[in-house]
Amino acid sequence: MSVFVKNLRYVRPGFDLHVPSFAAPAAQITAVVGPNGAGKTTFLKCLSGLWRFSEGTVEIAGANLRTLTDAERARRLAFVPQEHTAAFNFSVLEFVLMGRTAYLPLFAAPAAADRSIAAEALDYVGFSRSPDRPVFDLSSGERRLVLIARALAQQADVLVLDEPTTFLDPRHETGVMALARRLAEEQHKAVIVTLHNLDLAVRHAGRIVFLKEGRVVADGPPSDILSEDLLHRVYDIPMQIIEHAGRRFIVK
Amino acid sequence: MPYNRARTMSRRKRLFILFLFVSPLLIFLFSLTLGPSDISISDLGKILLSPLAKSGEGTVTPVQRDIIFAIRLPRLLLGLAVGAALSVSGASLQAVFKNPLVNEYILGISSGAAFGASLSIVVLGQAFPPQIGAFGFGLAAVGLVLLVSRGPRFSPVSVLLTGVIISAFFSALLSFVEFFASPYSLQALFYWLMGNLGGAGWGDMAFPLAVMAAGTALLLLMSWRLNVLSLSDEDGRALGLNVKRDQRTVVLTATLVTAAAVSVAGIIGWLGLIIPHLVRMIVGVDNRKVLPLSAVLGASLLVLADDAARSLAAFEIPVGIFTSLIGLPLFILLLTKSSKIWR
Repeated sequence: MSVFVKNLRYVRPGFDLHVPSFAAPAAQITAVVGPNGAGKTTFLKCLSGLWRFSEGTVEIAGANLRTLTDAERARRLAFVPQEHTAAFNFSVLEFVLMGRTAYLPLFAAPAAADRSIAAEALDYVGFSRSPDRPVFDLSSGERRLVLIARALAQQADVLVLDEPTTFLDPRHETGVMALARRLAEEQHKAVIVTLHNLDLAVRHAGRIVFLKEGRVVADGPPSDILSEDLLHRVYDIPMQIIEHAGRRFIVK
Repeated sequence: MPYNRARTMSRRKRLFILFLFVSPLLIFLFSLTLGPSDISISDLGKILLSPLAKSGEGTVTPVQRDIIFAIRLPRLLLGLAVGAALSVSGASLQAVFKNPLVNEYILGISSGAAFGASLSIVVLGQAFPPQIGAFGFGLAAVGLVLLVSRGPRFSPVSVLLTGVIISAFFSALLSFVEFFASPYSLQALFYWLMGNLGGAGWGDMAFPLAVMAAGTALLLLMSWRLNVLSLSDEDGRALGLNVKRDQRTVVLTATLVTAAAVSVAGIIGWLGLIIPHLVRMIVGVDNRKVLPLSAVLGASLLVLADDAARSLAAFEIPVGIFTSLIGLPLFILLLTKSSKIWR
């Protein structure tokens, strides 16, 4: 098991997240879904070691998160944020090279080998424009690919994507999820992703965790747990599940 | 592999950058000949190539030798060091605070140092040199900023805001001292505050030069890390950086470097803000290029400004006035041109 969470608790005024158990295996997408404010991003940031949680344990590829240094953690787990928020306009290549930070000593800069890894990552995600292009000039979809390429340059076994499809058109939405699936199937990464689009979760995830108000409502393969009753309980609106051409779609 | 190709940079630009890197040496040699005492290039060559020759040998007089080694050389070396140190310090702090409008004095060094110097010049007299007062109170002001802004709500914005408040506090203290100062000490204080490179001899310079050299070298070594530090703190952590440790290292180093520069040269404004901006317009935002080029450009421009300060009139004009007079219009120009570099 690549990521294993036990009894994780994160408390802040007005919000209490409690996940008794969570597992994200290698070579599979695990989707975390739920309404706004359910605690999806909080959960992802806790298990990625970015936010401190008050109780519980997180194991990443067999190591306890609390015993890892920042660099050790980043070599095992790569986190892809929702948006790119740099103050300075780096080129695509300079930006992706930052994924090599965890491998570099304090005074070192990336070498030729790091540039090759960054270039391969850009190739893998299908970024076809010049790597000298400034990041601010890219579209939302291209920027998302560059963020994923930077995470790939970390060469970590676990990839955590926080709402990777938000603000993307249907073509880029599908492209990003297909990429996440390739990373799981071809590179055997454990991919953990938060999503608002339930159709994408049902189609690509091997396992879905439903969160509501900081609590796990359901956890399992979509074929086992998905029901109209569950969706109603989680989202508080009636939803229909319809089957078409062997696939299940959710209609609001 | 298309991504491994060299960055697209024209031959003309490469030559220009090469010129910038050798410019401190050219300006240094030119500036050695500049001054009220006429020393030709050939005499300068003789003096520099035979520093241990006996007085009176050849056409070079002992006075000329003394002018070069005791007056002009320390002044120019100080100009190069202060220009490089302030520019690199400003560029580093801009990265750490993720804000291109930050300068090397943002954490209150200038106000603290000004107050320290005023205590020395106005209240304590010669027994307490302004260099020590400026260095000590410059560090104290930054220490106070970091102390007040630490804790769970620590963030670059809170540090910057605290810097503004502490600066205002020390400015008020400075005004208080100025109010009680005699006209003579007020004039001396004013001269110090405007910044000037002519006041220090070899003895006064040794410690500040060593601090500036060591600190600037450390910041240059961290230039790649500064790229990652310029992202959000959370992004930096996700990429494996010990963000707080690296931020502290850069802020403390930049503070020491700036305090050392201010202690020996007074408050020379605008270099740390404008030089990194100019450099980013030439080479982009990668700090591996921004920092070294800021060092050489800052060094060259400060020595040129000092040349103007000591040549344009019969008396010496404080160099800080020139850097501000050149810097402010330049900054307005940069503001209209640099929207592609930062947001």
